[in-house]
Amino acid sequence: MTTFNWIKHAFDYVGGAQDEPPPGFPIQLGHWWFWAVWWGAMALAIYVFSGQSSKFIYIDF
Amino acid sequence: MHPPKRIFILALAGILLLLIALDRAVARSAQNTVPRTLMARTRVSADARALALGNSVIGVGFNESSFDAAMGLGKPDGAINLGMGGSSAVEQLLMLRYALQLGVRPRLVVFGFFDFQLTHPLEYATRDLIGNRAMLYYLEPEYARTLYHLSLHDRAEFEIMRRFEMFVDRGTVWERVELFRRALAQQGMPPEKANSMGRAVDFAMLEYPSAPEFIAECGRASRNPLIPSVREIVLQAEAAGSKVYFVEMPMPPEHVHMFYDQLEWTAGYRTHLQQTLGDLGATYIDASHWMPDQGAFADPLHLTYEGAQEFSRRLGEYLRNIAPPQ
Repeated sequence: MTTFNWIKHAFDYVGGAQDEPPPGFPIQLGHWWFWAVWWGAMALAIYVFSGQSSKFIYIDF
Repeated sequence: MHPPKRIFILALAGILLLLIALDRAVARSAQNTVPRTLMARTRVSADARALALGNSVIGVGFNESSFDAAMGLGKPDGAINLGMGGSSAVEQLLMLRYALQLGVRPRLVVFGFFDFQLTHPLEYATRDLIGNRAMLYYLEPEYARTLYHLSLHDRAEFEIMRRFEMFVDRGTVWERVELFRRALAQQGMPPEKANSMGRAVDFAMLEYPSAPEFIAECGRASRNPLIPSVREIVLQAEAAGSKVYFVEMPMPPEHVHMFYDQLEWTAGYRTHLQQTLGDLGATYIDASHWMPDQGAFADPLHLTYEGAQEFSRRLGEYLRNIAPPQ
């Protein structure tokens, strides 16, 4: 399997389009901590970038 | 327990742990925000004989050492500048109260302002409470809430948010993202003029777009009383034995010519302020024309460092003449 196909397979697996992970994929989606990290990372991304609509004029350096 | 349900509950607990860690990380990174730094300075300035309050026009415009030298104040009893960029009179009142509660007894309080800050009613939404205004979440929040308006929805949001550091000081994270965005936007572009407060061009947005609009606002504002937080600054400072001076801060020649030379300002709004503040026992100082050189300004509102030194020296001399140190 080429690297590209492996990455595509991994994304398919994480996205739920495939039931089996590609060979050597380190994470089992049945692990609770994967979902904790996944949704934690999503929450972090939302948190960090949710200030985009704020009208930043003053940034006291 | 059914496996998917167990995974869901454990994952939820894991997310909660991550959010707690984020909350702690934000609290740690916000230890040195401007309000907290000023509060720390206040704690070691019990002998300060003069306090400077205001937003960024005082924050960068008031130079402590130049003022002290002209005023004849020494190091332990010198002035302390509590001005904060992007703050309103409510935050400035909270800073004054913090100093007074710590036993600071300034002989004089200088409040620098521009345009209609003293009479413009404060209506906030929780989205406005970022940057230096975040102190409204943690410094006497119940008291401060009586001095500005929040909608019912925002009041409920405020009550929840003020209990979590990641919401209270979210601005410290957002600021970094914003600075990163600005750095990216600068790639391959001519450098933008920026100073210690932010991008110079942004501050033009805080000015009125035209003289007719400014004149119309003079008419409306001349009928407004002082906002409660300004009034409280005067009353509470005077109750602590301070003399309060409101300084119409130096503005660039273009701002002065376009706005402050209008009759509606000089004979209308300024007179209104002088009378209103005078009734409370405060003194009005018109310093708007003190710095006629455009080179003394870093952007449409703020003095340069050298300009701040010159202005502060002149203010110190002026105050020494009308209120000599005892």
